[in-house]
Formats: sequence, structure tokens, C-alpha cells
Amino acid sequence: MTLSQLVLRSMKKNIKHYYLYFFALIFSVTLYFSFVTLQYNPSVVDVSQGVKVAAGLKAASYILLFVVVFFVLYANLLFMKRRSKEIGLYQLIGMSKGLVTRLLVLENTILWVSALAIGVGLGFLTSRVFGMVLLRILEKDVLVQLIFSVEALQMTIFVFLVLLIVVLIQTAIGIRRVSLLALFTANATADVKVKRFSGLQMFLGFIGLLLIGYGYYLSTTLFELESDNPNVLFYKMIAILVSTIGGTFFVFRFSVAFILNLIRKQKRGHLSIQDVLSLTPIMHRMKSNAMSLTTITVISATALGILCLSYISYYSAGSTAKLNIPFDYIIMNDQGEGFIELLNEKKIEYTQTDIELLNVEVDTSAIYANDMPAGLNMVTKGPMIITKLSDMQKEMPGLSLKEGEGYITGYSSMMSEIVKLEENKPVELTTSNGEESITIKEIRSDSLLVYYVTGAGMSIVVTDEQFDKLKADAMISEQTIWSKQIGIDLAESAQLKEVQAIYEETTNNGHFEVTKDDGTIDSVNMDTQEAYRLSMLDMFGLVIFVTGFLGLAFLMTTGSILYFKQMTEAEEEKASYTVLRKIGFTTNELMKGIYKKQLFNFGVPLVIGLAHSYFAVKSGWMLFGTELVAPLLITMGVYVILYSIFAFLSIGYYRKVVNESL
Amino acid sequence: MTILSGRKIRKVYGKKSTAQEVLKGIDMEVQEGEFVGIMGPSGSGKTTLLNVLASIDKATEGVIEISGHDLRTMKERELSNFRREQLGFIFQDYNLLDTLTVKENILLPLSISNISKKEAEARFKEITKTLGIDDLANKYPNEVSGGQKQRTSAARALISNPSVVFADEPTGALDSKAATALLSNLEKINRDKKVTIMMVTHDAVAASFCSRVLFLKDGQLYTELYKGEKDRLRFYQEIMSTQSVLGGDGYDA
Repeated sequence: MTLSQLVLRSMKKNIKHYYLYFFALIFSVTLYFSFVTLQYNPSVVDVSQGVKVAAGLKAASYILLFVVVFFVLYANLLFMKRRSKEIGLYQLIGMSKGLVTRLLVLENTILWVSALAIGVGLGFLTSRVFGMVLLRILEKDVLVQLIFSVEALQMTIFVFLVLLIVVLIQTAIGIRRVSLLALFTANATADVKVKRFSGLQMFLGFIGLLLIGYGYYLSTTLFELESDNPNVLFYKMIAILVSTIGGTFFVFRFSVAFILNLIRKQKRGHLSIQDVLSLTPIMHRMKSNAMSLTTITVISATALGILCLSYISYYSAGSTAKLNIPFDYIIMNDQGEGFIELLNEKKIEYTQTDIELLNVEVDTSAIYANDMPAGLNMVTKGPMIITKLSDMQKEMPGLSLKEGEGYITGYSSMMSEIVKLEENKPVELTTSNGEESITIKEIRSDSLLVYYVTGAGMSIVVTDEQFDKLKADAMISEQTIWSKQIGIDLAESAQLKEVQAIYEETTNNGHFEVTKDDGTIDSVNMDTQEAYRLSMLDMFGLVIFVTGFLGLAFLMTTGSILYFKQMTEAEEEKASYTVLRKIGFTTNELMKGIYKKQLFNFGVPLVIGLAHSYFAVKSGWMLFGTELVAPLLITMGVYVILYSIFAFLSIGYYRKVVNESL
Repeated sequence: MTILSGRKIRKVYGKKSTAQEVLKGIDMEVQEGEFVGIMGPSGSGKTTLLNVLASIDKATEGVIEISGHDLRTMKERELSNFRREQLGFIFQDYNLLDTLTVKENILLPLSISNISKKEAEARFKEITKTLGIDDLANKYPNEVSGGQKQRTSAARALISNPSVVFADEPTGALDSKAATALLSNLEKINRDKKVTIMMVTHDAVAASFCSRVLFLKDGQLYTELYKGEKDRLRFYQEIMSTQSVLGGDGYDA
């Protein structure tokens, strides 16, 4: 029998073992090739600011490469482990290590070449789908061409060729390590080394839970800085990372076994069949599984956190735009008459909201809560925009004020995370006749003022009488640059595009200016709400696409690795299933225990990962957008569903093994 | 009283073209309280016969009844329950679960029965005492010796008070001292508790503990020997001489 015959025969026999590894390879090639192709797809590159998209995709492809390398090497390692017996057997019958290596090199090369071919074919098709998804996210109506990029092919072949060489080296080292002695004791060493549980372990298990709790606590107080050292934030972040990651490892390594051991001890030897199949194997495998479970948990938590944050940015594009530009169109100081006339002329329906504005110097030091961070030099005295109650009531009918009272509006969630304000405290308005005190009745996050005017800061609402009094003040009217904001909301959002053109035409692209008495010109360039939203989409659309894509890759790899591990575990435990079925337990009785076990194996990393990412997102989401709940739930929901698929796959595999065990 | 009976048991492995007939129509009966040994050369179908009788494997043809239950008419689920409640098993390589302690292993067959914890505890105490492993309860299998493992396995087989215990080469992996200890234990349990035991073995010493020994050859019942009132040594010599006639598995002496 020649070497090639032997290779073909062993491949045929091993097809069951191969398909897992083969699938992993095809998956990696498909993902990589389609992603690289996307970089070279003209319809994708041309559509946005060319360079930016390409650069973003390129950066992402490096991260993807990292994922792929990690995944392929891990899959190969598992694959080698499963075949160590076969490799030993070849040597036992007298083949030299060199020959066995050549055999495996040949096998691997055949496998890789075919995986590369299939993967490139699939990637060619999927890259168009990915391209369409990307453009859909960016809200661009462009037809994506199906292109085959030679550069992408070269790149993919090069990368996977290098990876193949690495894998071959890994394989060769693996073969060198297999000793014939190990062949005979292979099962004994593969079997779980059963050990007793010491008091120290129990203690460490407890520490693990504490560490995670402490990390979570730190993350909720991330921005509450007590010291004026600017590095404190950084140190805090490091502390959070160390304690949660360390805690995760401790939990997997010690806490789980510790808790399960307590449960087991209570049963005093009277274990149910479900305990036998879930409790005890989990306990005893925790030592070897802790590292990989920790890695998987941390990776999925990171991926999930980033995914959530970028989705929050994307999802919030509309509401952020509305927050910053509260009306579809805004014109200042009656300088947009032409715009309104043209709207009337074209019989476009709209509602108009006029808000009068005043610039007043305000001292707000009293409303800041005492625990203001010392490091933050908050300006507590400065010019603020004042509006009047009746104007605001047009859009916010719930408002009402007594004399001497006022509202603060535009206290954003991001601001609220960093500085705490207190209601029922006075602010001092500076007028030409001294200071005028106003008690703040309520601090509200919503605002009706465009951020170009308020500088994304807070503004104050006062009663109409108070406003008129201030308006009559010569000093204040001198300070006031923008005296009126006119907001236009369209009745039909379908007309947004048409009106956008009118707006740009009649207001000189949203340019407003005021010439002051001393001849200086104050000007502002206003965006429309829709234009602002689209620019946000452009910015975050690519981010969400890239992170979504990478998140998916991470999810698929971690899910597959868990699945592969479970396949191996199922085979290792087959002997136990045989015993149990001989003694007289049915497949269904065994499966009940296995459901429990899989609930644990997949559920615990998932739950801990979700909790980690929840706290990570919670601590900093306000820097990314204005909506938390919906994007968080959607991202996590999708993640849970995809993840469960792997759990169900593994259960299916277990069922097969249990069925075959008798 | 007949506890186990088999009529014309045939077992064929493989598909039509490659079919191999391992059991070629075996008739047998086992009375309650017997200690039956099954011997024969390698490939004579000893283990297959045991598996078929124990409902682990399905006979191609033939009728098998154990304490009045016809195995053929029972569904997969009923068979499992039947095995758990009525039969006990001892295997050559112990087949203990490494992740369970000795006690947990022994109590395993009771885990989904209605037997109360108190009753289970009492049975556990009694059996481990009889087998001399009562001080090992909280040890893991890898912490005890081969003989102790096999006695654990025997205790597991006996805990459910089965009507028949099947043992497949129980002494195969033990040294002669441990083997003798185990067999004496089994013999004692068989005698005192009237537990019916069927044991496959190729070891004539082990077989000499039985009250009756069946010899298989090429899938057929070749002959059988009764111990009767003979002492163990005489019985052993008889077994040896039958074995040498049979050829194959015996020691050439």
C-alpha cells in the first residue's frame, strides 16, 4: 500500500472526525475571503467617503485574522488529540515519525486546499450579502455588484498558506510528543483525575464570587471620581478588568466545584441519575475546563459589550439627532423667511414653533450636589440661554411655574452621569440691577433648543413675566445674539428630501449670521435634523457593521469551540453511558441529566458573559448614545438565540452518542 | 422453580452476505438459587449468550423468559426498567463511574426507584459489610484496589435485590487472591440469599465455585457439569478435563 493510498483510506475512515475540522476551516476561509473581497468591492468603496470605509474594513480584517488564527489552531489541536491513538498505532506497526508526519502533511494539504476552494466559493457569494447589509445600514440605495477580486483571492491564499504551515508545524510537534507508552495509557490519562476538594479551594471559590461583585460595584461608580488625579479613571478601569476576569477564572476553577460539592455532600451518596450525569462530571472537569471557559466568557463578554455600544450609537442616531436638533429644520432670528414662504408656496404642510431666547449670565453653583468631583473644573458661572414658559409649553404642555421658579432643561444623561444636580435650589441671574434669584423646580433632560445655540449645555425656563423683565434689560439684550429660534416640523416625513434642498437653497446651507453693533459678525452653520442623522449613520454605520461582523465571528468561533469540546467530552463519557444503559437506564433518563449538564456548560458562560457586558455597557453607554434598553435587549437577545443553537447542536450529538452506547 | 429459560436462541451478526451465526439454537433453563457458570473457548459465544439473556443484546430468534417475563414482547423502555429492577451486572473491567464515590456507585441503580433513603441505606450497609468494603464508602474508584473495585461492582449489582445476577468474566482482571475472595463472597451470597447468578468465565478455578457449568462450543451447548456433592477440587478437575476435550481455551497441561 502506498502512502497516498493510505492517506485516502484513512481520510475515508476518519470522515466523521474530519467534518468538524473541515467545517471550521471552510467557515474561516469564507469569513475571511468575503470580508477582504468587500474591501475591494467598488460599489462599497465608492459609496461613502471611500478611504474611510476601506480603512475601517482593513483594520477589521486584521482583527478577523486574529480570530481565524486562534480558531484554526484550536480546532487543529482538538483534532490532533482525537487522533492521537491512530497516530500511536501507525508508529506501533513500525512507521517512523517522519512517515507519519508526511502522512498527516499530505492529509492536511488535501483538506486545506479543498476547504480553501469551497470557502472562496462561499465567500464570493456571501461577500455580496455582506455588502448589501453594509449599504443598507448606511441607508444608501446602491446596487452591490457581484465581483470577484483577484487581490482578495491572493490575500486569502497567502494568509491561509502561512496558516497551513503553522498548523503543519503544530502537527509535527504533536506527533513528536506522542509516545508509544502514552498509547497504552491514553485512556487512563484522558480520564478525569478525580480529586478531593480542599478547604482552600472552597475559600478561593468564595473569593472568586467576591472579586466579580467588587468589579461590578466599581463599574457602577466608574465616573464618581474622588481624587483630582486624571489617571484615577484609568486605574479604576484596570482594577475592574482584573477583578472581573480574575473573578471569572476563580468562579470557573473553584466556585463552581465548591457549590456543586456542597450540593453533593448534602445528598450523602444518594445521587439521582440526573446528578450523576450533570453534577459530578461538571465538578471533575472544571479543573481542565476553567481556562477555556474563562477565555470564552471574557471574549464573548467583550464582543457583546462592543456590539452593544456600537448598536447603541447606531440605534440612537435618530434620537441623538432629535436631541441636538429638536426640529426638522431650524431658522434663527427671522433670517429664514424665504424658506417658510417657499414651503407655503409649494403647499407643504408643517408646524412652526417659535421660541424667544435671551443670553444671561447665570451663577449655578448652588444646584450642584456636594459630591462634585474635585478634579473636574466645572464652570458654575457663565452665560446661559433663557427661554420663556409659554414658548416651551407649546411643545411640553406639562410645564407650569409659579413666580420666582424655573426649570433647567437639556440636562443630558451623559451629564447626569458625571455631575449630579439638585432640585429646589436657587440660581442667580445677573441683570444690570444686580442678581435675580430663581428657584429650580425641576431638572429635565429634554430640550427644545438646537445644540448650536446652547453648546449642548443646559438652559433655563422662566415665567413669562420674568422673561419680559429680563428682555427689557438693556445689558441682557446687548448680550443676546440669537433672539429667536424657529423650529419647523414637517407633517409628512416623505418630503424630507425635497424640503432639504429648499432649506439649503434658501438659507445658504443653514448659514445664519448677526452683525453686532461693534461690527463683529457672529455666525452659525445649522444642520437639519435629517442631515445630522445621516451623518451619524455614516459614522456609526460602518462601526456597527464591522463590530457586528466581528462579533458574529467571535460568537461563531466561541460557540464552535464549546461545541467541539462537548463532542470530545461526549465521546470520553461514552463508556459511562454504556454502563448506565446496561444497568438499566433508558436513553431519555440519561438525556435528562445531559440537558442539565448542557444548560450548565453553555448557560453559565453565557450568563456570566451577559452580566459582564451588561455592567460594562451600563458604565459607559451614555458616551455613545441616548437609548440603552432597546439596543441592549436586541443585541443580547440575538446573541442568546445564536448561542443556544450551539447548545442544541451539542445536545443532538450527545443523544447520538447515548443511543450508540449500548 | 425455573427463573430463566431460553428456547432455540439464535444470534446472527452482520448482514446477509457477511452473516455470522454466533449462537446456533441454544436451549437452557436456570433454577432459582443456582450459580451457573458458562465456559467455552474464545469465540464460542459465551459473552453473546450472556448479553442476550441479560437483554443487553437482542436475540435474532428464540424465546427468553426471566421470572415469567418474555423479553421479546418488551419495549426498549420496559427492558431498561426490567434490567434495573430485576437484574444485576458485574463486568470484567468493573465499569464503575470514576466521578462517583464507591457509595454513589453502589446506590446508582436505586436512584430512580421508589425505595426510601432509609431502606437504601440499610441495604447499602448490609451488602458492603458482606463484601467487606464498608469502610470505603467515600473513596473514589481510583483510590481503591482492583479487588475492591470488583466488590464495589458486585455490591452495585446486588443492591436492587435482583432475581438474577449476570457476571461477565468478573475475575478476569484480578489476581488469584482477590479473585478467590470475590468468588467466595458470591458463593456465600448465592447460598445465603438464594440469589441466582450466571457467570461467564474462562477460568476453571472460578468455574469450580459454581453449582453447574455449561460448556459452549461454536455457538452450541456442548455439555454441562453439575457440582452436586463433590468438593471444589474434584469439580475443578472435572472442569479441566472437559475443557481439554473441548480444546481452545484450556491450559495445555
